[in-house]
Amino acid sequence: MINALKRAWANFRGFDLDGGTVPPLDGPLRPNAKLDTLPVLLRMDDIDNLTAQGDHVICSLHNDILTLSPTRSEGGAQTFEVTGRRDCGATVTSIASTGGHLALAVDGKGIVVERPGEEPRTIVADGLPKNCITAMTFADADTLFVAVGSARHAASDWKRDLMTKTASGSVWRIDLKTGGATQLASDLAFPSGIAVSAKSLLVSEAWRHRVLALSQDGSQQGFALSGLPAYPGRIIPAASGGFWLAMFAPRNPLVEFVLKEDDYRNRMVETIDPAHWIAPSLLAGRSFLEPIQGGTRKKLNMLKPWSPTFSTGLVVRCDETMGMLHSYHSRADGEVHGVTSLCETGGYLLVGARGSGKIVAIDELTQQAMA
Amino acid sequence: MASNDTLAYLRSRYLPDHLIGEVLSKRWIDNAIPFSALLLTIAVLGSIIPDFFSASSLSDLARQFAEFGLVVLALTVVMISGGIDLSVASVFALSVLLSLIGVNVYELPIPVVLIGILATGMACGAINGVLVGYLRLRAFLTTLVSLIIFRSIYEIVFLRMSTSIMSGFSMSDMWIFIGEGTILGVPTSLVITATIALAWHLVLSRMRPGWRLTAVGGARRSAFNAGINVRFMVFLTYVASSTMCALAGFLFAARLGSTGSDTGVGLEVQALTAAVLGGTAIGGGRGSVSKAIIGALLVLLLNNGLINLGISGPITSTILGAILLFAVFIDMRWQKHRHRILAKIYVSPAYLKLPPAPKVDAPGSPYALNDKLRSVEIIGLGEIEGPEDVILDREDNLYCGTRHGDIVRFFGPDHKRSEVFAHIGGHPLGMQFDRTGNLLVCIGGMGLFQVAPDKTVTKLTDETNRSWASVVDDSRLRLADDVDVAPDGRIYFSEATIRYEQEDWATDALESRPSGRMICYDPRTGKTHTEIPKLVFANGVTMCRDGQSFMFAESWTCSISRYYFDGPKKGKIERVISDLPGYPDNINRASDGNFWLALLGMRGPALDLAMRMPGFRKRMARRVAPDQWLYPNINTGCVVKFNEKGEILDSLWDLGGQNHPMITSMREHRGWLYLGGVSNNRIGRYHLPDADPDWCAQDEYWGPRA
Repeated sequence: MINALKRAWANFRGFDLDGGTVPPLDGPLRPNAKLDTLPVLLRMDDIDNLTAQGDHVICSLHNDILTLSPTRSEGGAQTFEVTGRRDCGATVTSIASTGGHLALAVDGKGIVVERPGEEPRTIVADGLPKNCITAMTFADADTLFVAVGSARHAASDWKRDLMTKTASGSVWRIDLKTGGATQLASDLAFPSGIAVSAKSLLVSEAWRHRVLALSQDGSQQGFALSGLPAYPGRIIPAASGGFWLAMFAPRNPLVEFVLKEDDYRNRMVETIDPAHWIAPSLLAGRSFLEPIQGGTRKKLNMLKPWSPTFSTGLVVRCDETMGMLHSYHSRADGEVHGVTSLCETGGYLLVGARGSGKIVAIDELTQQAMA
Repeated sequence: MASNDTLAYLRSRYLPDHLIGEVLSKRWIDNAIPFSALLLTIAVLGSIIPDFFSASSLSDLARQFAEFGLVVLALTVVMISGGIDLSVASVFALSVLLSLIGVNVYELPIPVVLIGILATGMACGAINGVLVGYLRLRAFLTTLVSLIIFRSIYEIVFLRMSTSIMSGFSMSDMWIFIGEGTILGVPTSLVITATIALAWHLVLSRMRPGWRLTAVGGARRSAFNAGINVRFMVFLTYVASSTMCALAGFLFAARLGSTGSDTGVGLEVQALTAAVLGGTAIGGGRGSVSKAIIGALLVLLLNNGLINLGISGPITSTILGAILLFAVFIDMRWQKHRHRILAKIYVSPAYLKLPPAPKVDAPGSPYALNDKLRSVEIIGLGEIEGPEDVILDREDNLYCGTRHGDIVRFFGPDHKRSEVFAHIGGHPLGMQFDRTGNLLVCIGGMGLFQVAPDKTVTKLTDETNRSWASVVDDSRLRLADDVDVAPDGRIYFSEATIRYEQEDWATDALESRPSGRMICYDPRTGKTHTEIPKLVFANGVTMCRDGQSFMFAESWTCSISRYYFDGPKKGKIERVISDLPGYPDNINRASDGNFWLALLGMRGPALDLAMRMPGFRKRMARRVAPDQWLYPNINTGCVVKFNEKGEILDSLWDLGGQNHPMITSMREHRGWLYLGGVSNNRIGRYHLPDADPDWCAQDEYWGPRA
């Protein structure tokens, strides 16, 4: 009752009770356009799940898994070419690899594990969902940690998961020797990335704009990062220590407002194509049926970089405890939006911008030399 | 229609939400609260006090009001100039005493006494005025001291003269007439006060000295910089104040014929309470005679009512003190928050259900997507900003407006060189040539102007008739948008909205209320009148070829209508297109007998849904920063061609708006289509392969050059 009154008063006065205020991009998240200046290694729409495997890089494209090999273009610039392709039968939502071991999450099938010298096998365990596995990571050759985004929606339907305020995600540990699965955490709001640190398990909880730090048996929960101005996604360890964090979409005050407007939100979800919702997106501005905001209007034929936007590109370099150090941005007017996957190979960080359909490479050493 | 849709529709249709904001933006709203408090007080006291409305009590009240009202008015005048006069009560008491001495003791003629009293008042005021106005002492302390000094003089003289005052008596008819007489049934003193109040009202609201007075109180430094003699104005207010108080004392003496040790005690607090209750600002710059009257009546009624109810004097004073405190609090909050409240509640979205948007990607759709406008030739890139409309004359010169308030002319035929054809000051929007080659142009915020071929600028009109039922004065043109000329010379132009300025057009989109109109200016009579009221963002207008009707666009309803101003269908409006996929802007003629229409932005399902949920948009306007508001998607450029039946014949797109986002106008001329956009920095030129390469609109309108 008192809470209802508080909410009504807050609504009347127009202030915010539940963290709906988008924090400014500041400090290590100070905006820049670095992602847009990086060399583009490959252009391919909907590319996702970049994973290093030996000298190659593998990635997913809808139902397929592609093998990418480095090559040089005629001008001598580093590029990638597709050297292998195999069909998994359904959408590949996540890939993890360590040594020669490979884990593939395929919608409807579950997790397929391929180990050297063994037949591929599918993990079947009680309660472990077969859909919407958003991220996986090997702790060692026999232990796989798995983030399940949502028990209700497919991974590709993540907008619906957000706009219906679903919190049905979970985190699992799978023992590959026995095939047993343990649930470490549940009722999470779209866990979308997972990584193992020295002390804990880092899990991005996208819709709550934070990165959780779980103990490896799931008994303790803390926050490694919270109050983020964007939705955190995949996390990978950096070879030189610390982590890389990809944030796949920015938070937006209008979206936060719509999230509070239940009536409008429900009607929007029921009657409108998700591509045209007021919702974060991997790449906004594809169609004129999408909503735009006041500051997104072109003035003097120019889209301002600071325009409000439903999509951006953002990669953050973090230290061992996930403290943010610096970041790489592609702003409203940029062209590397919707970064969903990262992978380190050959001294480069490959940035997979699924929204813009590009792979760009960050050379951390030269970047630092430039800075 | 869903049930909550019906509710939203009914609410938006029958509850005039937008009026609250309009009422709050009126100047008289300051008086509304005190005035309702006054009515409430009269109602309550009238019902609990017997004989409250009887003739004798009203007459008594009127005489008291005459004196008290004068004192409050005196204080108000000082307060408007930014000062305060606490000595009003002492001057009042002193003049009561001196009047009685003059009349009763020395038996001087009444006019002489009156002149003496007024002179005394002036002298007292002059002392205050010199100290505060010229020597720049603090008004509060200075008048507090003069309060004590004048009061002391009163006490000293009163002790010496009280016996002789009591024993004296005046039989002067004039004295009795002033004290007890009536003029046409109205007490004499009230007539005197009313006359003075009326005079002050005229001075304060209609005359230069009054405006200067308010200016001094509102912003002393600005007033000084504007050349007002601030010190002299302040000096005068104190003189006027004390003179009026002296007159009030004179009237009091005439009515009662006696004085006591408590005469005028606490009167300054009562007067101050009255002034503040009426709405006069303590800081100066805001106040009026009506505020003073309302406040004076309120305090007088309360005071008398409390005495009537048998409440003792000190408690009455306490209650009045509490009311003063409360009034000061309300005054402070109101001053501080009025504009914020207004800003929050002014935006008042309406329910708007648009028909389903046509599917532009359906096979065979006349809106088939293309990128024809992406590779157009570009004119004036970077030289002009905001060519809302473009027009060409017979010599192929190209005219456009810019947001700097210029009309720029690009010389034909290559449009490489340009000059400022005319500088008018406001952003030029729709343009048209009349029969004699004058360029008619609508200017946002200014009205309808005419630029002759020799570059002389003439204002044709900037106001129309005020509509009877509107709260705000809607006679002034706020956003004249597009213009066209009938064969007989009558000029029809649209005004997009009367509620917002040009730069706030998107807020009007958020409201989607019928607050635009179509206006007619007749150059033969010089008169302007509103031809069609209540249009939803009336935008493009263009004459049909029958010479008795025109097409006009209403942007937010995504519709085109045809209006007959002459002929058998005179006065009729026919809807021509009601389901455009975007928001229509200017309409112009095409060489093949059809019409070109610019779509300034495209509809999206998220916004269409929001249009059916006014509450959602209202909350968005209050809670989300304007830069983050949901907007029509204007980052796409689109021009379509339609015929008189409303069929879409062709469409030209710049998807993604690389060259031409938000096309607001287009003009066909000799086989080319010229494109303008209100926030673009260029004009586009697209070759029309099938168009008549010799066609010029001016020739079609007015015939080939004579």
